[in-house]
Amino acid sequence: MLSFIIRRMIIVVPMVLLVVTITWVLIRLAPGNFYTGERRLPAAIEKNIREKYGLDKPWYVQYGKMMGNTLRGDFGDSLQYRGQSVNQILLRTLPVSATLGLLAYLSALIVGVSAGMLAAMKQNTTLDHASMALAILGISLPNFVLGPVLVLLFSLTLYWLPPARWGGFLSWNLVLPVVTLSVAYMAYIARLTRAGMLEVLRADYIRTARAKGLPERQVIFRHASRGGLLPVVSYTGPALAFLITGTVVIERIFALPGLGNYFINANLNRDEPLIIGIVAFMSITILIFNLLVDIAYAYIDPRIRY
Amino acid sequence: MKLAVNWFRFIATLAILSPLVACSVSQAGNVEFFGKTEPPKGRILRYTSGAEPGSIDPHIPTNQLEHRIIMALFEGLVEYHPKTMKPIPAIAERWEANKDHSEFVFHLRRNARWSDNDPITADDFVYSFRRAISPQLAARNASFAYYIKYAQSYNEGGVFVRDPATGEFLLEEDFSLDSAKTVAKTEAPVQHKQSDTPSIALPSEASSPSAHCGLQQPRPALYDAENAIAIDTSFHRFIRSPTRFVLPGAEQARAKALESNPGLKAALSGKELVPVKAEDIGVEAVDEYTLRITLTQTAPFFIEMLPLHLFRVVPRKAIEKHGAAWTQPGKIVSCGPFKLQTWKPYNELTVVRDPLYWDAAIVKLDQISFFPLEENMTIMNLYKAGELDAVYNHTVPYGWIDQIRTLKDYMDAPEAAIAYYWINTTKPPMTDKRVRKAFNMAIDKDALAALRRTSKPLTAFTPEGIFPGYPQPKGDKFDPKRASHLLADAGYRDNEGNFDPEKFPTDQVELTYNTNPNNRVIAEFLQAQWKQNLQITVTIKNMENSTFDALRNRLDYKGFARGSYGADYMDPFTFLTLFHTPNNGSGTGWTDPKYDQIIDEANRTLDPRRRYELLAEAEAYLIEEQPMLPLQSERTNWMKKPYVKGLYPTLGAMHAWKFVYIEHDPAKWDRGMPQMTE
Amino acid sequence: MKDEPSPIQTNEVGLDKLKPALTSLGTPPEPPVRARRGNTIHTTSELAIGEGDVYSNEAEIEAVAGKSLWRDAWRRLRRNRLAVFGMVFLLVIACASLVGPLIIKATTGYTHDYIPSEASLIKSFPPFTDTDGSFSWKHPMGTDTTGRDILARVLFGGRVSLTVGIISTIVSLIIGVSYGATAGYLDGRTDDVMMRIVDVLYAIPYMMVVIVLLAMFSGQTPHGRLLLLFLALGAVSWLTMARIVRGQVLSLKNQEFILAARATGVSPTKIIFRHLVPNALSPVIVYATLTVPQVMLQEAFLSFLGFGVQAPLTSWGSLAFEGIQNMAIFPWQLIFPSVTMALTLLSLNFLGDGLRDALDPQMRRG
Repeated sequence: MLSFIIRRMIIVVPMVLLVVTITWVLIRLAPGNFYTGERRLPAAIEKNIREKYGLDKPWYVQYGKMMGNTLRGDFGDSLQYRGQSVNQILLRTLPVSATLGLLAYLSALIVGVSAGMLAAMKQNTTLDHASMALAILGISLPNFVLGPVLVLLFSLTLYWLPPARWGGFLSWNLVLPVVTLSVAYMAYIARLTRAGMLEVLRADYIRTARAKGLPERQVIFRHASRGGLLPVVSYTGPALAFLITGTVVIERIFALPGLGNYFINANLNRDEPLIIGIVAFMSITILIFNLLVDIAYAYIDPRIRY
Repeated sequence: MKLAVNWFRFIATLAILSPLVACSVSQAGNVEFFGKTEPPKGRILRYTSGAEPGSIDPHIPTNQLEHRIIMALFEGLVEYHPKTMKPIPAIAERWEANKDHSEFVFHLRRNARWSDNDPITADDFVYSFRRAISPQLAARNASFAYYIKYAQSYNEGGVFVRDPATGEFLLEEDFSLDSAKTVAKTEAPVQHKQSDTPSIALPSEASSPSAHCGLQQPRPALYDAENAIAIDTSFHRFIRSPTRFVLPGAEQARAKALESNPGLKAALSGKELVPVKAEDIGVEAVDEYTLRITLTQTAPFFIEMLPLHLFRVVPRKAIEKHGAAWTQPGKIVSCGPFKLQTWKPYNELTVVRDPLYWDAAIVKLDQISFFPLEENMTIMNLYKAGELDAVYNHTVPYGWIDQIRTLKDYMDAPEAAIAYYWINTTKPPMTDKRVRKAFNMAIDKDALAALRRTSKPLTAFTPEGIFPGYPQPKGDKFDPKRASHLLADAGYRDNEGNFDPEKFPTDQVELTYNTNPNNRVIAEFLQAQWKQNLQITVTIKNMENSTFDALRNRLDYKGFARGSYGADYMDPFTFLTLFHTPNNGSGTGWTDPKYDQIIDEANRTLDPRRRYELLAEAEAYLIEEQPMLPLQSERTNWMKKPYVKGLYPTLGAMHAWKFVYIEHDPAKWDRGMPQMTE
Repeated sequence: MKDEPSPIQTNEVGLDKLKPALTSLGTPPEPPVRARRGNTIHTTSELAIGEGDVYSNEAEIEAVAGKSLWRDAWRRLRRNRLAVFGMVFLLVIACASLVGPLIIKATTGYTHDYIPSEASLIKSFPPFTDTDGSFSWKHPMGTDTTGRDILARVLFGGRVSLTVGIISTIVSLIIGVSYGATAGYLDGRTDDVMMRIVDVLYAIPYMMVVIVLLAMFSGQTPHGRLLLLFLALGAVSWLTMARIVRGQVLSLKNQEFILAARATGVSPTKIIFRHLVPNALSPVIVYATLTVPQVMLQEAFLSFLGFGVQAPLTSWGSLAFEGIQNMAIFPWQLIFPSVTMALTLLSLNFLGDGLRDALDPQMRRG
């Protein structure tokens, strides 16, 4: 197991470089530059800008500089947000997105898993159908609809909660975005849990356990839950990685200073250092979370080995 | 099945309930105003200027969003009037122009201070202007300063040509690269004489003994007549001497220029090239509190341009110490009525009253919080919930306007901004003027205005009724019949000579716009109009901004590409310049010497009425040629709480913050639009 | 629902322990070419039991399987009333999307892109309301802010949304399932490489890909662009599916019946697609039904950013996005597209659940 983890950690570096390279090529292929605007720039001014940012240099020089920056973990200054380094932006926005994402996922996990397990245990009962129908409703309500509806209800009609903006890590401002964000995930998790549990509840070893006369609770929690949660665990890796690195729609609707909105804007503005920085960070996050998921596999299901 | 029925019932109830909730919401509370009207406790204004500012360095950003924030922090020689947006004194307490408006002298007030208590002097302005124009800063807006003598050459990295033997420079009047370029030829003939008058900012060339400067020329009459406010300096004689000839600095561009002009090539042999330096541009500190700006040409509108953020003064010490990060809190030194307190990106940018500001006594707000917000819906929600006191222009979704318009905190006033579509005149069928005109005539702009709720139909290229005394020409009216005839004339006709949509190359025309719900609606409307009036179904294509800008700039679109422009200064020229060749910022591929000629003549004309007539003549010519599709003059379309006073729906959506205040007494609140006449 | 016996709860004794967890698609025994594929796990003691099970049942199941599998599933599906409801609703909505706009055009003359030229008509009328406020059948869902018929737009939007959903789900099913199952089944090194590729694809900024794709094919017609959009959406929708399937397969591949199949020399392809995938079907179907809403919303977001469907084409997501802006004033602009979308997804999930139950190899009896 240890060697497996070490192997996977070592591979992170070439992987990140690969992702960053692909991204860099994509940025070059995309039309437009960070300086293109509503009004066409005189050629001389465009030339000045290109010289200032080294865009007049041959591609391998630019590529080498970018790779060097990535290896050093210092991505330079943002092109759109002048005078702010990419690392500064990452450090500032990450806690916001992470707080939001973790809180949302945690609540989604708790509610989703319990609802899913309950539904699976009481398959085809009203409880099952009701919770699953609710889950589907949660999925089919886009968060850009749910968010504003909640705002309309709780902020603009009842005046209970602030409609938007960041108010610190522990503030009422977080309630609506976290709820909005978690509903879809909650629903996903509930459905995946139910499916996984149903699969497992029919497995031989569960029947064996039941046949042995173990109490149902123990069968469910000690035996079935492990295998039954496998799909949820698979799903958690990428889901959590994406949640932590920002959720654009929520951040925009609730005007939160998170990473997701920066990332979208960086893409739209062709802000190369910022895109590269965020992509590098995101790929590390994804790799690590997927590694954690793989470790969790082995823990949950002893038959899985690496 | 029972369950499903229950679900239907649930959803049906939801569907019925939500309008009730919604209706109760839209009618709840105050019917006079939108949402809460509780003023903030202190003398605080909470405002949104749009998304996160890219920079608050006055020389860098190009958008109104940053400009509004910069107006709180930095001042220039002049500032916008809070209502009319005409220039009013700021750090310059008064100024004079020479007779032909090609030179301006500014007298700075002596009590203007930086937020670190240093005095603001003419040297600070010289530094700021040079920085703004420098190729190293590569400011996107630098072309605004091209009217300053040698600024363009410096920004473009040009070179003077000097004879090493005599030290004389080639002059522009002898060689010209670009016939369209206008030159101020107002100077009297000069004689060569070396001067040793000391100067504050000595240009590099002026100090060299063999320099082709130090010319004794008759001083502009103004200086003689007035009490000799600006003394004669060696720099002044250099800058007023005949314009030197400038060649491109880059090897390749120069070679190209020489190739096309054999005479020039011959004249160049044995000459040396001298780069145009920052010290050569026509900005001079005559003394500590006197600034002189010399232009390349007569430009009566130059003063109108000076409140632009590019011309605001920046702190040399802080910039040299901190580099690009100088705008961060703790490092920044400002000079406006407010100073930066906190800047939490995408969260809050807070400025507080600067007691050192020269006019601090008049500043009525203690603090302004700028909230960076991107979604109009979020902005309106925060406004309604009373967490924003005022918002920037074009924030009310157009679907809401019918409802919002009746409220007394809605700001509906004319704006110096227009919406239009560029036409790619380089690709058929749009190379044909008749086709361009036909498409324009087939749009019912009154219906479009009705659709948009908050704009006026536009047939010309300057917004209507914005520039007093400007005899704005009228373009073609809605006339689908004539449009069909024009298209038939252009060759798209059947055997009987009637217009035949089948013959028209529909696949060569598209409506391209940058993505935005409002733009989409307009594109859909235009498509529907042409479908109904011309039986031509044009494809709509939307793109994200950067792609759109790139494609439009390299004319890589078919037919029409969406455009909009807000006035940079209060003069029709700010719009007409888009098609003016030397500075062509249009995405149409259309240039016309006749148009340029009329514009140039207008800008050389000192009589304001005659100048306006000439500009109007140029505009009439432009809309006759129709390289664009004028659609509408914009309206301001924003909201402010009744207790916010001194914040006016100006033509350019700019606000001089020092006049804004919070009125806690409901009796004195604004109910409706504030009085806009002085 | 009480009338349907729950197989699990009545089956606690484990009578069917004799029936192995082997799919009925089990193959006739082939000579063991490579009984053990160099994987240490094969030496576990569970092997013996599994092997016995497989052999004892293979022939018997084979006899019934094949022909009756789908008929069997269909029969079971028909018995599931919620699933039938879902299926019917989906068919209705699909047909309505296809022919609805034509009918509306024929009867009332309204289309998804018809904007009235009369200024007084360019506004949002409530459902069943005429210009003078009286009851009318003209616009059963009202009009949008530009005066277009919402019913026509919702039905027309259904075409895009349903296509997006179907295509992405198919891509996700085909690529995701086979990729994930293969990675999970093959040895550690191959699995590693395959999953790292997935990780890289996860990390590549999706928006940049779309920007570049659209720029490269900017000359395309609206329909060509739509196709690109479908491709782009499908291209990423399979990633999570692959991870989920791989996780299941990792857990399944060491179970008795697989070890047995392997020991008897069943080819890896057959093991993956006939033994492993059917047993991982439950999460697959669930996740596939979850992909649909995800993709529809993704499409709406891309459209919002300027990458999606071209106006005046529209989709449910885009309609809801527009509607949400005006929710407080013209709620019908939000409610009708949202409810249509929600009902569709609800039906889809009922159908998915039904399918899952019907195809479940372990629930198949009688």
